[in-house]
Amino acid sequence: MARQWGMVIDLDRCTGCEACVVACHAENNIATVGEDQAARGRAMHWIRVERYWEGNFPNARVIYRPVLCQQCGDAPCEAVCPTYASYHNPEGLNAQIYNRCIGTRYCGNACPYNVRFFNFYNPVWDKPLNLQLNPDVSVRSVGIMEKCTFCIQRIKVAEFRAQAEKRPLKDEEFNPACVQSCPPKAMVFGDLDDPASEVSRLAQSNRATRLLEEVGTLPNVIYLRSVS
Amino acid sequence: MERRDFLKISAVSGATAALDACGKPERQLIRFIPETDLIPGIAVWRPSVCTMCPAGCGTTVRVMEGDAEVTRKGQLGLIKMGLAKKIEGNPDHPVNHGKLCPRGQAALQVTYHPDRIRHPLKRSGARGSGKFQEISWEDGIHELVTRLAALSSGQKTAALAIVAKPMRGQRRVLLESLAHALGAPPPVFFQFFEEAVLRQANALSFGRAQLPTLDLAQSNYVLSFGADFLGTWNSPVAQNVGYGEMRQGRPNLRGKLIQVEARMSETGANADQWIPARPGTEGLVAMALARVILTENLRPASAAGGAGELIPGWAEGLKDYAPEKVEQSTGVPAATIAHIARDLAANSPAVVIMGGAPLAQTNGLFNALAVNALNALLGNVEQPGGIYFTPAPPGMAPAQGLPIQPASAYAALTALLGLSTPTTLAPASPPQVLLLDEANPVYALPDPRVKDAIEKIPFVVSFGGFLDETSIFADLILPDHSPLESWIDDVPESGVTQAVVSLAPPTMKPLHHTRATPDVLLEVAHQLGGRVSKALPWKNYEEMLQAAWGPLQKEKGSVQASSADEFWSKIRKQGGWWSSEVAPAAQGRPASAGGPPVSYKEAQFSGNAKDFPFLFMPYESQQFLDGSLAHLPWLQEMPEVLSSVMWGSWVEINPQTADRLGIQQGDLIEVSSTRGTLKASALVFPGIAPDVIGMPAGQGHQQFTRYATGRGANPFKILDPVFEPATGSLGWAATRVKISRVGKGKLALFGGSLRESPREFGKR
Repeated sequence: MARQWGMVIDLDRCTGCEACVVACHAENNIATVGEDQAARGRAMHWIRVERYWEGNFPNARVIYRPVLCQQCGDAPCEAVCPTYASYHNPEGLNAQIYNRCIGTRYCGNACPYNVRFFNFYNPVWDKPLNLQLNPDVSVRSVGIMEKCTFCIQRIKVAEFRAQAEKRPLKDEEFNPACVQSCPPKAMVFGDLDDPASEVSRLAQSNRATRLLEEVGTLPNVIYLRSVS
Repeated sequence: MERRDFLKISAVSGATAALDACGKPERQLIRFIPETDLIPGIAVWRPSVCTMCPAGCGTTVRVMEGDAEVTRKGQLGLIKMGLAKKIEGNPDHPVNHGKLCPRGQAALQVTYHPDRIRHPLKRSGARGSGKFQEISWEDGIHELVTRLAALSSGQKTAALAIVAKPMRGQRRVLLESLAHALGAPPPVFFQFFEEAVLRQANALSFGRAQLPTLDLAQSNYVLSFGADFLGTWNSPVAQNVGYGEMRQGRPNLRGKLIQVEARMSETGANADQWIPARPGTEGLVAMALARVILTENLRPASAAGGAGELIPGWAEGLKDYAPEKVEQSTGVPAATIAHIARDLAANSPAVVIMGGAPLAQTNGLFNALAVNALNALLGNVEQPGGIYFTPAPPGMAPAQGLPIQPASAYAALTALLGLSTPTTLAPASPPQVLLLDEANPVYALPDPRVKDAIEKIPFVVSFGGFLDETSIFADLILPDHSPLESWIDDVPESGVTQAVVSLAPPTMKPLHHTRATPDVLLEVAHQLGGRVSKALPWKNYEEMLQAAWGPLQKEKGSVQASSADEFWSKIRKQGGWWSSEVAPAAQGRPASAGGPPVSYKEAQFSGNAKDFPFLFMPYESQQFLDGSLAHLPWLQEMPEVLSSVMWGSWVEINPQTADRLGIQQGDLIEVSSTRGTLKASALVFPGIAPDVIGMPAGQGHQQFTRYATGRGANPFKILDPVFEPATGSLGWAATRVKISRVGKGKLALFGGSLRESPREFGKR
């Protein structure tokens, strides 16, 4: 049975601690680019915590929002790729096939969420930092776009294990690295097509919104509004 | 690979002929016989303990087989070994419940850091020149033993000083026993953001010299004075877990958070209401709240017990602290105070917290005592939704009574180095030998005398794995394993309501030619013989740990075993031991409090307000804490959450102030106190009072690996020597500064600007 992977992020729980940011770097072999490249906007963070300031002192306030690939149902990045490197997989993920990518960066320009990152250089890990690399995730080379995969390597491992044990995949049996790490449990991951899953239950909340819903991308990341 | 290494290998392996064709000299490395038998591609998870901050979280480490370049018997080659690949929270651990903060996850890069010290070193150039030569472990240990033996034979053992980063558990016991057996003064456990004032206050109010555990998950109302409890303060992962439950874990019940602080922290940004009270008046705000509760008869004054008696005028209803009276000095409207006071009383259980800057004032002790009294008044002590004190594990003395005087590590350190202190503590005679275990006082202390004093010590030994501002002065470096390569134990001070011992074996074999410092010290003790080896009789650290924690087998806890061996093997697999008794009552009682009342005194700031119009407020960095984590590239490139700055340091300025002074975001600003000057880029920051300048700690290292050296500025260096008198703690939030624009700076921001369009956020 096909699944529709999705995520709910409760902004009322999120504290902006950024555990998800480092978890993603560690899991997905994301290279650090250094100060000069970072200043040119070339730092790669598949997930980031945005903060929105409202009001002036002393009534200033902040709202945090973790932003990652929204795994759109109708993804602008997919339609523009001349080599079909951005493609929609059967489980609803906006997958990026690295060895098809020729680096036009059309997808990055088309994405309204700014969550696709281009490798301007070959990544470098000063030895022996290369030993931290996760063998389950390929390292991207210069000229390639990369993005959040919902930790597809973890999805695959869980699916294979369930298959080997001849049983269906359980809800919340595994999680992407960001969800696993999240201390206030702001993030929940699972199958949106399974009405019994925690993620589809939370997606029914009256606090549920989607980011830039009005542009018609049908995101599969659902935010629960902060209350106050 | 260096050319020199490359040539060496070519000579050894005799593969020179093949090199022209290959171009990848690594392929020519010889292969050593594997030391571990892991199945390729299959991950195993092994427990460990996080050492990045003092919270003591349990972790689980993903280990997979891989090829590592190592040196064995002087020869470089490749070996298949188990390599740590990722660190996550240990799901069974009662402090962090399977969760881990970004800093804990980045600990992986400590092990694989390219600038780790890989073998013992002996100084070969001038002091501080950074010139060292490789020596053998036997020679290194022999030299240390000779020096220590010379001290004891000359009856000058008081001349030994041990300075370490804060630690608990058996590694602390080992250092203390070593010092004691050698007749030396007790070791000083030093870090910049110390909690001496809060421990002192809790000892006075509740009889426990200990940080509080917050039961946020069951709180309905949280009032925090300056405590960045979701970012860096106390036990942040435990507190984040509780916070999530407080907000959305209970149907139809959402706890509120009110934050009082002049510079908005990561926690303040989550608050329902943020109140920028004037720094140094937080105790007044707390007392005004208590005053409203008392006058409106919401709670009886007697409810506070001994914690209330420490505040002069408590029994008389705190007449001096009427909200209207303190409005002028605190900057908090009387109506706001009355409103919060009623909310506190109505939304029980409500908890009050203080941490960070309010304690780093000259009146910090009063501020803390005021919050303690308010908590006791509200009936929060050792009640669900309130504060608890983590019990000590069986066989370990609880932190009862007052801490040993002086409470502050700052005072203790200066005394140990033979310098005059801010307290009555007399300076010791200058030490002849200094043992450094990862503490970095030369970076952290504004006092220039510390560096001079360390430079004058005839023999300095460092055990840390990196060269920093302090260890650069070492004569001998005996590098420790990384935490992932070591036995670690820790006894969490807070963050949990049951007794916990975090304990775990190494998760991987050592990558380099390092040795575990506890093993080295036990070897040293053995070689010294006599009293020292009697005090430390164990062959290795595991033996010592087993002797200390093996008796837990008899206690009711998380590990059930019929034999000592079974117990030890289970505790190794679980990553520690925790008592099955959760939240035993009466760890600390308001009634047990004592001591003379402490009256409110206005906070003193250094520098006159006319020449130095701004209050300088450094704060513990989300990325690097006090600077000890600035060497990790993941944390350098992690955008700090409120600014999105990467790889840099900055000063935060209120938008109106910036406007008035003609300062724009990214301008280079000079910040001067009476003590010194620093330069950093301006960040226009809406969450800061117009007369306050904020700055994160952590950057400005002169010597701390390729990633941190020479990057940004160090706010500690311009702090004036202002102290909290009772403990001798540095009042790090009491320095006044002036600022001026001196040019164009640089800021690497991940977010385009601080003012993203709020439109896309919807209807808030």
